[in-house]
Amino acid sequence: MREAQFLARGTPVGPVTLDVGLGQRSARVYEDARDASIVAMLAAGIVKANAGSVLIDEYDPRVQPVHCKRVVAFVPHDPLPLDVPGVESYIRYRAALWGIDPTGAWAHAKLLLERLDGVHEAFAYPLAGALIAAPKLLVLDRPQPAYAERILAAAGPRAIFSTHTSDAAAQRFETRARSVRLGVVPT
Amino acid sequence: MIPESWRAIATTRLLAERRTIAYAFAAAVVVAFVQPSGLAAPLFFCGLLGVAVALTQGPGRHRHLDLCEESAPLYGRELARAKAIAPCAVAIFASLAYWGSQSLAGFPASPLSFALALAAVIATTMVALSATLRTGSARLLYLALACATSAIAFALAFYAHSAIGEVAFCLLVALIALRQYGESLARYDPV
Repeated sequence: MREAQFLARGTPVGPVTLDVGLGQRSARVYEDARDASIVAMLAAGIVKANAGSVLIDEYDPRVQPVHCKRVVAFVPHDPLPLDVPGVESYIRYRAALWGIDPTGAWAHAKLLLERLDGVHEAFAYPLAGALIAAPKLLVLDRPQPAYAERILAAAGPRAIFSTHTSDAAAQRFETRARSVRLGVVPT
Repeated sequence: MIPESWRAIATTRLLAERRTIAYAFAAAVVVAFVQPSGLAAPLFFCGLLGVAVALTQGPGRHRHLDLCEESAPLYGRELARAKAIAPCAVAIFASLAYWGSQSLAGFPASPLSFALALAAVIATTMVALSATLRTGSARLLYLALACATSAIAFALAFYAHSAIGEVAFCLLVALIALRQYGESLARYDPV
């Protein structure tokens, strides 16, 4: 992400510059939840930058959104609503969206959910649903710091980018994490 | 053959909207017993139900489903077709409920009358879907267009006595609306 800015709908966000290599972890702290959420969605290719550039595995989300979304998984901050019919149905739904074999996805999800033992279902299911597609990059929007160890164990060696609103939370995910004041490019 | 992703999106959204389906079904039955004869009532009332159900597909009501679908590797046009299935299915259920209730009330409508109403209801629902991604005056404009679709379809069927013209008009409007919805979804930022 180079000087990426989101200028639509309310207060502008950015410029944001960051680089997450294969297998690396990066945690960034932002002043408010909206900024953190938008930066996470920019990194996942869900929101398109109005200025600057975002490249996900050499693909530009503005031009090749589907290619980007095949290599990145996004886990939202909000917990999964409790009216979801069941974990297996939910995993099969996620598998269908990604065009994955549902039987294999469910077997994979069961392994992931074992690693996420102790994490509340409302947070564990979306993470398992995101990881069944075996993404190269996992983007976490303000993940729960209490579950950091479990989340990192489930994610394995893949690249992780997470956004946070407090330094303490960020440091649970990446020990070198630091605050970034938007508008200032970190050195 | 319907792709698996479309089936998954449609069934998940229909499950999430099961209460809305029940309300739409009940409302169609009640109104059909109150006004069992004619083409105008099923066409306009079920069209309004279609608009209401389409608006429930907007961002915010099922935030987690929205984010799952928007982060999935699907093109805007694929997502639009899949997301359009649920409100159209509800509109079809409501139209069938209305048609069945008309018969039970002793005023059975002909299959042609049902087909004309259904074509208008689906086209109206499709136009209303584009309103879900807009705000302010643009949203009102799309809602007005949805209402105008029902009115033109009724005029073609009732005053111009052109069943083929009505169906052709509804088909054209539905296709354009679906394409427009797909374009809007591809550009939409869920912030």
